[in-house]
Amino acid sequence: MESDGSTFEREGDGMIPTTFNYFRPHSIEEALLLLRQGEAAKILAGGQSLIPMMKLRVAEPKTLIDLQGVPELAHVTWAGGHCTVGSLTSHATLAADADLRQKAGALWDAANGLGDPQVRNLGTIGGACAHADPSGDYPAVMLALDACFIVAGEKTREVAAAEFFKGTFETALGAGEILTKITFDAAPRSAYVKLEHAASHYALVGVAVVLVMSRDTIEDARIAITGLADVPFRASGVERSLRGVKGNNVAAIKSACAGAAAGQDVRGDIQASSAYRTAMADIVAARAVRVATDPR
Amino acid sequence: MKIIGASVPRPDALDKVTGAARYPADLVKAGMLHAAAVFAHRAHARILNIEASGARALPGVHAVLTAADVPYNRFGLIVADQALLCEDVVRFYGDRVALVVADSAAIARDGAARVNVSYEDLPAVTSAQAALAPGAQRVHADRSNVLLHQKIRKGDVAAGFLQADVILEGKFTTGWQEHAYLQPDAGISYWEGEKLVLETAGQWLHEDRRQIAAMFEMPEENVVIRYAKIGGAFGGREDLSLPPLVALAAWKLRRPVAMVWNREESIIGHHKRHPFTITTKWGAKRDGTIVAAEIESIADGGAYASTSVEVLKCASIFACGPYSIPNVATDGIVVYTNNVPSGAFRGFGTPQAHFAAESMVTRLAHALGLDPADVRRKNLYKEGDIETTGHPLPPGVSVRAVFERCLEEKAARFALPARRPEPANSLRRGIGIACGIKNVGYSFGFPEQATATVELDATPAEIRGAIVRVGAAEVGQGAHLVLRQIAAETLELPLEAVRMVTDDSSEAPNTGSASASRMTFMGGRAVKDAAEAARRNWVAGAKPEATVQYRPPRTTPLDLETGDGIPNYCYGYSAQAVEVEVDVLTGVTRVLRVISVHDVGRAINRQQVEGQIEGCLAQAVGYALTENMPARDGKLLTPYFSTYLLPTTLDMPTEIYPVIVESADPNGPFGARGVAEMPLVPFAPAVAAAIFDATGAWVSDLPMTPERVLRAIEETRRRTTASAEALVR
Ligand SMILES: Cc1cc2nc3c(=O)[nH]c(=O)nc-3n(C[C@H](O)[C@H](O)[C@H](O)COP(=O)(O)OP(=O)(O)OC[C@H]3O[C@@H](n4cnc5c(N)ncnc54)[C@H](O)[C@@H]3O)c2cc1C
Repeated sequence: MESDGSTFEREGDGMIPTTFNYFRPHSIEEALLLLRQGEAAKILAGGQSLIPMMKLRVAEPKTLIDLQGVPELAHVTWAGGHCTVGSLTSHATLAADADLRQKAGALWDAANGLGDPQVRNLGTIGGACAHADPSGDYPAVMLALDACFIVAGEKTREVAAAEFFKGTFETALGAGEILTKITFDAAPRSAYVKLEHAASHYALVGVAVVLVMSRDTIEDARIAITGLADVPFRASGVERSLRGVKGNNVAAIKSACAGAAAGQDVRGDIQASSAYRTAMADIVAARAVRVATDPR
Repeated sequence: MKIIGASVPRPDALDKVTGAARYPADLVKAGMLHAAAVFAHRAHARILNIEASGARALPGVHAVLTAADVPYNRFGLIVADQALLCEDVVRFYGDRVALVVADSAAIARDGAARVNVSYEDLPAVTSAQAALAPGAQRVHADRSNVLLHQKIRKGDVAAGFLQADVILEGKFTTGWQEHAYLQPDAGISYWEGEKLVLETAGQWLHEDRRQIAAMFEMPEENVVIRYAKIGGAFGGREDLSLPPLVALAAWKLRRPVAMVWNREESIIGHHKRHPFTITTKWGAKRDGTIVAAEIESIADGGAYASTSVEVLKCASIFACGPYSIPNVATDGIVVYTNNVPSGAFRGFGTPQAHFAAESMVTRLAHALGLDPADVRRKNLYKEGDIETTGHPLPPGVSVRAVFERCLEEKAARFALPARRPEPANSLRRGIGIACGIKNVGYSFGFPEQATATVELDATPAEIRGAIVRVGAAEVGQGAHLVLRQIAAETLELPLEAVRMVTDDSSEAPNTGSASASRMTFMGGRAVKDAAEAARRNWVAGAKPEATVQYRPPRTTPLDLETGDGIPNYCYGYSAQAVEVEVDVLTGVTRVLRVISVHDVGRAINRQQVEGQIEGCLAQAVGYALTENMPARDGKLLTPYFSTYLLPTTLDMPTEIYPVIVESADPNGPFGARGVAEMPLVPFAPAVAAAIFDATGAWVSDLPMTPERVLRAIEETRRRTTASAEALVR
């Protein structure tokens, strides 16, 4: 019998990645070319997920293509009520954007509550989405915003958020593709609330809410939940129950949010049991809805 | 007195915060060989074969050492039952089977990964209950799984319960706790002529020397232990873990060798605080007088004996907390299992015992409709009271004064709401109180002594300075400064005129361990006595120096069946009030404020006492709330700081009030007792009582994670609804 493969038994003691080639292209075209030609090539954005995985040798790319040489990928642009966020935009940039707080509070909340200052300074929204961590914050926000992912490759294509997240660490991105932009409509009544792991701040349960309100009544709602299943999901039962509920009716919101995780195979681990996560989904959903009912 | 009681600043603080201080891992020099251990990574297995040719063939590997290389392959603080490198059987995940020595740490680790050990798995005993089951697999083939079954009998419990107006039962569990000292286990070892030198961190120079000399069958004088700066210990460096491994490599290869563990190796490789299951029944009269207590405490000692039997005895004598109860029966059992060994950890069995005892006292008060403070007042120890072990408490029983002080502080400080934002709907606040008792120094007849040497630099006209030799480990608690203050005060010298020699087993005498909150009391008393003796010699015109061994009042072993004996010579008494805020929908609990009152006898250095209280409270917050350490089949599931949740500054209460009471001990230097462990003793039950105050639910399992708190709230809600329904029907 061999060893059980605990992390610190791995080669390199979890600190030193295998060797790789490093490129820093200056355009998306150049990056795409390198991505197609390079051996076992991977995009490097903020490195906040990729580098730790390389240190643990869970990822062993032979070619790294650093997007930091393409600064035009980092931006937040509004055109009317429509927003385009470049994939290289850092969490910190989003977190410091007061305009974003008013127009898409859910995204602002997620960027603010994510990780620690170092991670927020380096990590990017595109990297976080492409990484598709089942406890990541953005996937739920993207679903709730009904965002659209602009992907460059042989040809440029658009992927709806609902189609983008495929599984744990799995997205619709092809091997030769780069996520360049994310677009969504303004969501002035939106919020993201999570119950987080104390050390990493990843979501044990994270709920993103986008509401359409007429006066003080919820007309429509998109509720997306992360941390519970392999992929974030929409709580459609809750969405239905919320229609017609008054924004200040705390009891009605609470009861509408009951069973938020219904039908899901909810994960349990040493951080939180399946039963706890399931119960917390209702609580966190109700809290997120209440934050979203007020202008930010 | 000028120097005693002053908040003299720590001379080592600046170097420590600027990074100039040299901890063991800072001693590694170019040209040294490096050692890496091969861990078992299985709970219980027979070693069939160790195939090391792959490792030996690796360029840069100098040797792969195994059990056959260790002359006397046994060590342990009380019972030498642990192999430095396992020869036939591995008994827990962190057991070591081989040691690879190479040119660099990376090569050594690479080599360690290439040592292929084939095993035959044996049935693993992974809980105390399983170890006690009939026909259970033995952890050590030649020994029962029961390390100790200690009984204590006082009065007649059956008769006691007959007098009771209310009888409550409770079951409590507590988990492992990791010491999490910041400085990783590390050391260097080399030969200096005839002598094998080991520079490392530990808690007791001369005990490390004794065990290591025995392993290499060397005379003790030929082994020199030198402590570098020590970055925390908390009991975690009492047992030898890394140090004898690096010493083995140097001893064998006759070359300087370095070894540094990473955090994962440290967490799986050294012992933890004992998990306990405490089943208890208490009875009281209507007026609050507690008349009987019956307590069964079962502890998981893990794979090796360590100090388990002493921890269990401490948990047993403190099973009733600081209360005088006429009829008591306690049964304490500690067992071997194939889990990580349990051993010394700040509090040494006392926090576990108090979690149950103090929770029960508050529950009794509630059941009787009395104020928990009044029930405590009725039953707290007073001068001359008889311990459960049948003899009077050591003189200086101050717990009543400490408790009253705590209540006064609580009335003054908790009257106004905490300065925090208005709580949301689901936040509830509550206040809890608890008391504590913990021994200072070794117990149960364990040979207790401290030796110090004082050499005066003196002319016939004046004493100009002094050299103090005292083998006291400075683990961060400030022992060296306290001992220096005691010498300076005794000799009426400025602090700068006293030079300390403390860190080398060949230059400083045996002062015993930095543990059991004893160093200020024991080391301080030895230094004081030696300083006085040296001065007497000077006055008499003799050589102005003296070596004094101080021995405190005698303690005795406990009778196994009755517990009869004199367990201790000095106690520290504590009382705490805490305020918590519980989110009743998520179970997330924060401690908002703490008042922590301690009779330290005499604060030699006020700032350091406060530092000990505040630092200890951080560990107490972790123990009570966050530091969950689950295991599956003997494997610890949180061997990283990313998964083992230590409290951070953000988890600490915003208001901490350390309160020092000074009621002198008759034997301590300038009346000093001890403080280092005390804040951990009553804290968890005080938090549990505060959670009850906030939510109406008792949590009986440590740590009180959000999930457990929420479960308790929900179960209580279900029960009250059910009983309300029963009333309607
Ligand atoms: C300590 C710590 C705490 C954290 N806490 C949280 C948290 O609370 N919540 C949370 O959601 N996340 C958390 N994270 C993860 C964080 O969000 C990362 O920033 C993010 O997951 C990865 O973004 P990045 O820009 O660093 O991507 P990288 O690490 O550079 O890349 C991640 C993956 O995405 C791919 N990739 C990156 N950009 C693109 C692109 N434009 N097109 C195609 N593929 C791309 C890479 O090839 C790689 O596979 C934490 C990380 C750390 C280290």
